Amino acid sequence: MGTIGLGSCIALILHDQRKSLAGFAHIMLPESRGNTDRPGKFADTALSVLLEEMERFGSAKFSITAIVVGGASMFEYSANSLNIGERNAAAVKDLLNVQGIRIKHEETGGKVGRSVYYWPEKKGRLIIKRADGTCIAL
Amino acid sequence: MELDPIQMDALAEFGNIGAAHAATTLSQMLMCPIEMTVPEVQAVDIAQLHNHISNEISAVVVFQIQGEVADGGYVVVSMPRETVIQLTNQMLGTTDTDREINEMDQSAAIEIGNIMISAFLDATAELLGIVMLPSPPALAIDMAHAAFESVIAQMAGDVNDVLIFNTELTSLAPPVYGGIYLLPNAELMRQLFHMLERLMEPLP
Repeated sequence: MGTIGLGSCIALILHDQRKSLAGFAHIMLPESRGNTDRPGKFADTALSVLLEEMERFGSAKFSITAIVVGGASMFEYSANSLNIGERNAAAVKDLLNVQGIRIKHEETGGKVGRSVYYWPEKKGRLIIKRADGTCIAL
Repeated sequence: MELDPIQMDALAEFGNIGAAHAATTLSQMLMCPIEMTVPEVQAVDIAQLHNHISNEISAVVVFQIQGEVADGGYVVVSMPRETVIQLTNQMLGTTDTDREINEMDQSAAIEIGNIMISAFLDATAELLGIVMLPSPPALAIDMAHAAFESVIAQMAGDVNDVLIFNTELTSLAPPVYGGIYLLPNAELMRQLFHMLERLMEPLP
């Protein structure tokens, strides 16, 4: 699973180690404000749909951990709303907190775009490639 | 947003006029001929953006369309890293191409974008008979997809696809390559089609 060129958006990965099961959402905006046609687009709907799906596959909420990546502020010389990354990251983390899901790894904020790849087998394998050429693997 | 072929054509022509003016300014600045591709207009689903925007490290200069159409959408100039360095060199008379992007490059990218997009909006606004001004530029030197995504997040709150007008500008010597993107929102499109209808009316 993966997503390329993540800017102000968030990659939210929920992982259930016991089932080697993971869900991946590419979140663009913090609040759905009643939109339901594309649940993955908004932080609130993405989390609830991912949880629902994973529970359908037999995961229990207490065994799910989360990885949150993205939410960069891409633009310099811009005071305006283009830098929605911070709000996205805050919204996702708040929601995870409310659901009682532990964040296993977080890399949010900053100024660089990122590409994220995830393999759900066993403990899960995560690769983050940053636009400045650096790369981490967990 | 669903567009019929005539509306697609109208948007392409509208953007084409703007892009031609922008290309002229670039050509004047570089004192060399600039080639321009036939523009494309597509309604792109936000989940399919990666099929349309590369992930190459680029300088992405973003302008919001302001003026009589408050928040009319965005105009974006995107240039790969090598082009930015090439442009700075050309204008400052330096020759080192094998280097990192520095502050001078950032400033040059913004300034070139600003001149091109002012010409773009000036020409298109005149066509519509309204005033359109670019906002102060915002710059990202990053994965192009990441920068575009952040812009599109602003437009895609209630819709799942965005209209993208795109044309590419190239020159062989100096080797320069760049793209101009127009991302109009619903209000600007409405004005555009209204104008088109007026043009199509038979004379009294």
